[in-house]
Amino acid sequence: MTDGTIHATHVRKIYETRTDRIEAVAGVSFTAKKGEFIAILGPSGCGKSTLLMMCAGLETITEGSILLDGRPVTGPRPTTGIMFQDSTLLPWKTVLDNVLFPAKIQGRDMAKARRHAQELIELVGLKGFEGKRPHELSGGMRQRTAICRALVTDPDILLMDEPFSALDAITRDEMNEALLAIWETQVKTALFVTHSIREAVFLADRVLVMTRRPARIVEDLAIPFARPRPPGIQESVEFNRICGHLRGLIEPPRPGRAAPAPVPEMAAE
Amino acid sequence: MTTRTATAAAEDRDAALRVLLPAGVGILVLCAWQAATAITGVPEVLLPSPAAILSRLVAAAPDLLRHALVTGGDVVLAFGIAAASGIAIALLISASALLREALYPNLVLFQVIPKIALAPLFVIWMGIGSPSRVTFAVFVSLFPVAIACIEGLARADRQILQLCRAICATPVQTFLAVRVPFTLPYLFSGLKVASTMAVIGIVVGEFVTARAGIGFFILHASSKADTAGIFAALFALCLVGFALYAVVVAAEAAARRWWRG
Ligand SMILES: Nc1ncnc2c1ncn2[C@@H]1O[C@H](COP(=O)(O)OP(=O)(O)OP(=O)(O)O)[C@@H](O)[C@H]1O
Ligand SMILES: [Mg+2]
Repeated sequence: MTDGTIHATHVRKIYETRTDRIEAVAGVSFTAKKGEFIAILGPSGCGKSTLLMMCAGLETITEGSILLDGRPVTGPRPTTGIMFQDSTLLPWKTVLDNVLFPAKIQGRDMAKARRHAQELIELVGLKGFEGKRPHELSGGMRQRTAICRALVTDPDILLMDEPFSALDAITRDEMNEALLAIWETQVKTALFVTHSIREAVFLADRVLVMTRRPARIVEDLAIPFARPRPPGIQESVEFNRICGHLRGLIEPPRPGRAAPAPVPEMAAE
Repeated sequence: MTTRTATAAAEDRDAALRVLLPAGVGILVLCAWQAATAITGVPEVLLPSPAAILSRLVAAAPDLLRHALVTGGDVVLAFGIAAASGIAIALLISASALLREALYPNLVLFQVIPKIALAPLFVIWMGIGSPSRVTFAVFVSLFPVAIACIEGLARADRQILQLCRAICATPVQTFLAVRVPFTLPYLFSGLKVASTMAVIGIVVGEFVTARAGIGFFILHASSKADTAGIFAALFALCLVGFALYAVVVAAEAAARRWWRG
């Protein structure tokens, strides 16, 4: 049985282009325990996707190491599930066939995969849409399909790169609830990259805050809410206090601009 | 229930209209043509009436069928070779960035050459037999297939390719499951162009060299001022071209069904 831990030590990434060297990630270290949900939060272009792609084995690691389940990442790994900002569904395949795609590619037991796919489809509320093709679905339904596809092989690690950022606010909230519902029923270590502070706080056990490029981790914050989390916690004082604190870390008051007045609760931090 | 039958009826009406409208226009033009030749009394050598062409077609039918089989055989052969080699070239060029950079611009340059003007060259190279004409037709119809196929292979969604890497798909799996289906629409539009180019290539070849085939029949009819015969041959040629085109369309439908299923 795999444990699904993620162990990153002094991970650095330098992109060599023809004209220059871009240091995207500068010495990032963190550990994710089995079944932990970690959100990676940071400004645009800071290197969040790069870090996630290195964990997925889709991008080389310039320096340092990432261990998944105790083994160093050298390339993609069949028991890692992944989701991108775009659903990346195959347009000519039905919802069910898209969900089953990784299982088919990896030559898994299809009867079992089919049963699992059916369960997942039901869990994300896509029942009745199994035979539809992506162009017949809304953006939210496409991402629901992508969630099912990422989970159909029963991965121990789930990597998500801003999976809901292309959706409207209402759909996004729904997707967050759907993701939580599904994640709380299965033990998966999750890395979830996002721009959205509220999304990170609502979903995660821990939030890693990254700086502008080259990215470092400036804060590793544990989120104290118990699970299962009702959507209502987003209105709580505590939730908003944590969000305010994180906002302060991401958008430091710039010189020449008045610092925003501190929220009273923040002073306690 | 009534709305269902109503929409079904409306769809039937639309489908009928799609056939009847162009057919009606065609018939109208033919009637106008017939009337114009009757009213103006233009000599049949210049412009035969549709009725005259029809009677010539009936009279020459056995003869035309023999020639059409010769032409059709060459066209199918040329099209088959062009399709296969066009796809092969596309695969080769798409296989590596180096090959692509080395060959693709040359291919595009070749595409620009007015290839019809080179027909006599193939006579010098390969003589006056069928191989000469088939080679020429392959030469003419190869480029649309190769270029469309290269275009299609390059169009596969990059993020989907990345997903394939992430789920540990082998290159062959990625090719069959993602690249091929993305390429099919491009490939088939190239094949449709190639099917008409192959007909043009063979007929031009027949103009230059043949002793049989529809191109030969047209030249022969022209030398005897048999204008109605030329039109009749043209009709036969259209049938050859249309048959090949229909096969390509059917193959496309089959390929789509297969990849979707
Ligand atoms: N393939 C590449 N070659 C060169 N530079 C790259 C490459 N990919 C990303 N970069 C650079 O690395 C930096 C980090 O990019 P990355 O995509 O990881 O940021 P991000 O935090 O995910 O941004 P966003 O929130 O906008 O998605 C950027 O400055 C980008 O220009
Ligand atoms: Mg990104």
